[in-house]
Amino acid sequence: MSDIQTSDTRKDEALHEPGQALHVEDLTVAYGAVTALWDIDLDIPPGVMCAIVGPNGSGKSTLLKTALGLVKPVAGHVRFLGRPVRQMRGQIGYVPQRQSVDWDFPITAREVVEMGLYRSLGWLRRPDAQTRARAMKALSELGMQDYASRQISQLSGGQQQRVFIARALVQDAPILILDEPMAGVDASTEAIIIALLKRLRDEGRTIIVVHHDLTTVQSYFDWLVMMNVRVIAQGPIREVYTPENLRATYGRQLAMIAPPAGGRDG
Amino acid sequence: MADLLSSAIVQTVLAGAALLGAISGMLGAFAVLRRQSLLGDALAHAALPGVCLGFLIAGARDLGTIMAGAFLTGALAALAMMLITRRTTLKTDAALGIVLSVFFAVGVVLLTYVQRQGRTASAGLETFLFGQAAAILRADLWIMGGVGLVALAVVLALWKEFKLVSFDAEFARANGFPVLALEAALTMLVALAIVVGLQLVGVVLMVALLIAPAAAARQWTRSLGGMVLLSALIGALSGAGGAFASAAQRGLATGPVVVLTATLIVLISLALAPERGLLWQALAARRARARISDRRVLATLQGLAEAHDNRHYPAESGMLKTALGAMPRAERLAGLEARGFIRPVTHPPETTPHWELTRAGHREADRLTRKTRDEEQGQ
Repeated sequence: MSDIQTSDTRKDEALHEPGQALHVEDLTVAYGAVTALWDIDLDIPPGVMCAIVGPNGSGKSTLLKTALGLVKPVAGHVRFLGRPVRQMRGQIGYVPQRQSVDWDFPITAREVVEMGLYRSLGWLRRPDAQTRARAMKALSELGMQDYASRQISQLSGGQQQRVFIARALVQDAPILILDEPMAGVDASTEAIIIALLKRLRDEGRTIIVVHHDLTTVQSYFDWLVMMNVRVIAQGPIREVYTPENLRATYGRQLAMIAPPAGGRDG
Repeated sequence: MADLLSSAIVQTVLAGAALLGAISGMLGAFAVLRRQSLLGDALAHAALPGVCLGFLIAGARDLGTIMAGAFLTGALAALAMMLITRRTTLKTDAALGIVLSVFFAVGVVLLTYVQRQGRTASAGLETFLFGQAAAILRADLWIMGGVGLVALAVVLALWKEFKLVSFDAEFARANGFPVLALEAALTMLVALAIVVGLQLVGVVLMVALLIAPAAAARQWTRSLGGMVLLSALIGALSGAGGAFASAAQRGLATGPVVVLTATLIVLISLALAPERGLLWQALAARRARARISDRRVLATLQGLAEAHDNRHYPAESGMLKTALGAMPRAERLAGLEARGFIRPVTHPPETTPHWELTRAGHREADRLTRKTRDEEQGQ
């Protein structure tokens, strides 16, 4: 343990793997006696739109949370653009799972989006006109400008998800991490979200998404991480999305899932 | 009543009670939104041993020492609960139950020990069980006021951080906010509110003064600021109301009266508040049913007219019933007629009532069809 910590401190001083948007090395995470992640080695280059797929309980969300410093690993380390996450606060937009909050909280859609700017406001400073304007702009990028002063409890699931994404978008971060953003949203919301994420990717940002729908993964993403506690495969989606890898990730119950199709690219 | 209000003692008691209610109302709003209402209950019960220890140390009923003791054991209980939920497999409710009962048991043992000693000053100590507003002294007001100001200042200074942590602690952590410290600060403020509220409501019922004003306030407001402010006002009103009743009827335990006052406000709020109230929701559901029924009648008449290629097709009542699965209520049809969308016609030789769609009715049916489609897509 102490061995890991010393090597960790040393690596904090200098950039480590600065060429990767996300670099994960030897990462192991356990909840009690259950191993959630085992010896994960991962590199996601900048400027890609990357899906993380795997069956339920494969550790996808845990990987994101550990990368963001929300869960403490047993071993290993994580770097964003060469830096540990605590030096990258505010430069990583995070969209948690929608069910993780109480949507009956007395707050408007715009106020939720403003929360993305609280960090840059600093202590003691109140959200001002500029904060409001930036929040409005983020909402309109997701087609939600007309709902800005709605109570979040009055929004549909898809609209709530768009508010959550606007809250990350407003941070103008080079890296965006989304945990199951398409879960339980309608088709039109999904189209809006994907169009936005692709545009952000084309601006040079890195988009990392935990995704559950294998039928869309090939058309949405250009980079893929397949995992099931361990990393099964990672790389450009055309090279990685193969029947062998799918079988290795999901086991045998896979027959019904979309077969790899050539040529369709995000 | 005027006599009662002009008495300096009653004024002190009323002011103190209102102040305590306002403080717990303000902080209770955060506790309720963070789903920590029952943590307040455990902290309140855990304050009892602290009250007795404070008394033993001071050797008299000195509010400052007693409050310090109550705060200390309350904080200790909060810490114990955090350790239990983090380090063991016990769930939060079990941890709450254990901490609450163990601390309260210690408190009762200490209370009986103090009273056994037979010191005259200890006579008032059992009022901390159910509260007694009359025991509030003018000097106590300064302490309560000071605590209230500190709590208010902290809440104002950390407003957006408290808002963020209460709504989405995980996002706050991902953004590098010191979430543990902020949550601890909120919990400590709740402990503080409990400590000052003990005199008024007592340890057993204190949790109601935290939850009830917030629950009532949530019904009426749409913003966090509005909720916190209203919750403080309702708390003040309940506190003053309970204290007044207690002063008017000497010997009536203050705490229960305060709690009953607050509960009355909660019941009224649950029933009557716009949007969230039961009455409002029932009326809204009724209006929605009526609107949908009207839409279906118009759409059915239009469908029949189109099917028969006759814009003035007279539809027999029985056909409407068949198409809709049930006869629309007479007052709905009368309402549509009054708005000029349908009109009754006769269709000899049949003698049964018939209805046809007017020109305005056709326009309205078109508009509603578009609206229904937009609503479906808007989701």
